Order: sequence, then C-alpha cells, then structure tokens
Amino acid sequence: MDELRFFEIYRNADYLALLAEGMGFSFGLTLGGAVFGLAFALLLSVTRHIRTPMLGLASAAYTDFIRNTPLIVQLFFVAFGLPLLLGYQWPFWGHALLALTLNFSAYFAEILRAGYRAVPSGQHEAARSLGLRPAHVFCLITLPQAIATMYPSLTSQFIFLFLTTGVVSEIGARDLTYAGVFIDSRTFRSFEVFLTLTALYMLMALSFKGLLTLLHRRLCPWLHIR
Amino acid sequence: MKELLISILGKPEGIVVFQLLAATQYTLYLSLIAFVGGGITAALLTLARIAPARSVRALSAAYIWLFQSVPLLMLLFLLGLGIPRLFSTDIDPWWAAGIALTLFTSAYLGEVWRGAVEAVPMGQWEAARALGLGFMRTFRVVVLPQAVRLALAPTVGFMVQIIKGTSLAYIIGFHDLMNIGKRWANAPVDGTEPFIIFPLMAFIYFAICFPLSRLAIWLERRGRSGPRATDDDGSSPSVTRSLNVQAS
Repeated sequence: MDELRFFEIYRNADYLALLAEGMGFSFGLTLGGAVFGLAFALLLSVTRHIRTPMLGLASAAYTDFIRNTPLIVQLFFVAFGLPLLLGYQWPFWGHALLALTLNFSAYFAEILRAGYRAVPSGQHEAARSLGLRPAHVFCLITLPQAIATMYPSLTSQFIFLFLTTGVVSEIGARDLTYAGVFIDSRTFRSFEVFLTLTALYMLMALSFKGLLTLLHRRLCPWLHIR
Repeated sequence: MKELLISILGKPEGIVVFQLLAATQYTLYLSLIAFVGGGITAALLTLARIAPARSVRALSAAYIWLFQSVPLLMLLFLLGLGIPRLFSTDIDPWWAAGIALTLFTSAYLGEVWRGAVEAVPMGQWEAARALGLGFMRTFRVVVLPQAVRLALAPTVGFMVQIIKGTSLAYIIGFHDLMNIGKRWANAPVDGTEPFIIFPLMAFIYFAICFPLSRLAIWLERRGRSGPRATDDDGSSPSVTRSLNVQAS
C-alpha cells in the first residue's frame, strides 16, 4: 500500500483555491437550478392542477420523460445536441444551469402535485364560499399549504439532486468535481483527492440540509411546535 | 438482428442502433448486480436496525447515513481510481462499478425497508411475542409479510434510480449504453450527431425505466386501496389500534 499524502493537496494554495472556487460554483449552480427549477415546476404542476387536457398531458409527458432518463444524458443533449441543432453558443455553466433546471423541475413538479392533493378539499370549498376566485384560492390557500406540507420532501429531493450535480464537470463546467479531477490529473493522488471531495460534498449536503430546516422553522413555525 | 436493423434503418443508423442495444445489456447486468448486491446488504442493514443490541442498530444507521450523503459519482471515483492507485493495482470496471452501485443501492433500500418494518404497528410484535413466538419467528412470520407489502412499491421505484445511476459508470471505463453512445456522438459520422444519439439513448433508458415507474405507481395504489393482509377478520384492526395506543 502506498502511503497517504494529503499534504500534497492541502499545502498547495492553488489547489485549495481551486477547491474553494469549485465549491462556490457547485453551490451557486445547485441553488440556481433549484430556484429556476421550482419556478418551472410550479408552471408544470399548475397545468395538471387546473385540468387543461392538452397542457396537462404535455407536462405529464415531460415530467415522466425527465424522471425516467439519466441526468447525464439530458446534460449531454442540452450541452452538445441543442447548440448544434439550433446554432447557439453558451458558456459551459449556462448549459449546466439549463440542464439542472429542466431536471430539477420534473422532480419538484411531481412533489408539488402530490402536495395539492394533500390539501383537504374543505379548504378550497371554504375559500370559494368566502367569494375568492379560483386563482386566488390557488395562490393564497392551496399553494402555501402544499409547499408547507411538502417542504420535507422537497428538501430531501433537493439534497439528492445536489449529490448528482457532479456530472456537470463532464461538459467542462468548473464545479467541485471538475476541480478534483484537475488536481488528480496533476498530483496523481486520486484516493486523497476524491476522499477530500467526498468530505466536501457531504459537508455541503449537510449545510444545505441545516439551512433549509432553519428556513422551514422560520417560515412555518406552527409545524415545529412540540 | 444486426442485418435486420441495417435493412430497416440504413447503413450508419442500423449499426448505431444495434450497438446501442447490444451495450444496453451491460447496463442491465450492472443494474441487476447493484440490485441483488444492494438488496442483500440492505436486508442485513434492516435486520441490524431492529436488533436488540444498541451498538448494532447505531452501526446500521451510520452506514445508511454515510452512503446517503455521499455522491454516487464520488464512490465511483474512489473505487475506480482512488483505491486502485492507493494500492498500486488495477481494478476491473465491473468490480468498481458493481461495488460502488451496491453501496449506493444498499443505503437507500436499507432506509426504505427499515421504514416499512417500523411502519408495522408495535402491537403486532407484542401480540406475537405474547403468543410465545421467538424474536426471529415473530419477524419472519408476522412482521415481514406486512413490511414487504409496504416496501414493494418504493423498492420497484428505486430500481429506476439504480438504472439511471449505472449511466455514470462509463466515467471509470465501464462499457455500457452510455459509453458506446457517447463514442458515437463524438464520431464524425453523418447520422450520429449529438442531437440524434442522445435522444436515442434517452429513449432506450426511458423504455427500461418507464414500465418500472408505472409498476411502482400501480403497486402503491393497489397497496393503499386493498385490504391489509392482517385485517381479514373484522376485529383485528381495532385490536391493532388499541395495542398500538398502549405501546406508544
């Protein structure tokens, strides 16, 4: 067995800076993907909620297709297929953000849809009988309750999706995995590099979890009364 | 098969589709290895999770927590690159990918199955013990059949995650659908442009995963609407409930 030489990574300021930049990039990319993804998921789930046949069918087909194909295939299509087909050129992070947004949105839409169903029908009926219009009922009554009850599912899905974002390094986006692969190619200390990367991903996943739980306590304190 | 595809689709496309379908079998084998290996490990984890010894329970919980917080990609890099370099050996991509996916699968299945076992009311355990059944017997005859019903749908659903997960194994040199498809997409051959190859690959993955997703949804609906296995005589639900209240 070879001896462990973590110091080859930790004593090199360039490598540490690269890892820090990678973490920042991964963090920003995931957050961006989650925010845009949630917005798109809202649109997708609404089309199924209000029962417009064609739109509902289209969004159902979209979510089914995304959920049943690997992220990496979607990513390669978005990064290499679409630009060639439509003749545009974006920076790598643009492709990565678009692919993650499309991917996240399908998973979030499915959770939101389940959330709408979990809101008791008495809530809609009461709101309707108070004279609220359907759009108001949805925005003021259904949606907030759905998000509040589905928050734990959304959080764990988000963490799971975050752990899959390393694949964006495969299209050249400079995320944490990209930094690790680069350092590995320079130092050949693969075990040390990827163990470090694993620890950093865990650290980030746990901080995401902590932050989101804290946010939930702030936004929906009534769900945390013991 | 190859000639048939070429005669239907023409020269480059027929060969491409044939090669993709041929590579798909390795995706399926790897998924099966991960499912069987992960399933066996998950079963041990589930047993450990209900074990009387506290340290065993904690160990199982720690394993699940650890491998649920680690990206699959990192497991692949560690097993396919890191550990072989540390010991200055080569590892077969089958072993590296198989072990990495087994670790990944076992953590998630272990969590699902533990949830299913814990969802069986405490009263079931107590009643069986009161009737004189031993611990293992109670588990096998009373708790397990009920837990399996609860766990079936999410387990089938997770198979989709495994199949999608195998698409990452090409990174450590595993020859599967992803690997062959990516090579064709990079090849300067007309009819294998990325916007043709990647949707084609997506469609193959979809054709495998979608039926499993549907099956999972169907199983879940059936499990929810049908009568519970233990409730075939009318009095048992209330008995279960009252025992449950006492237990909690």
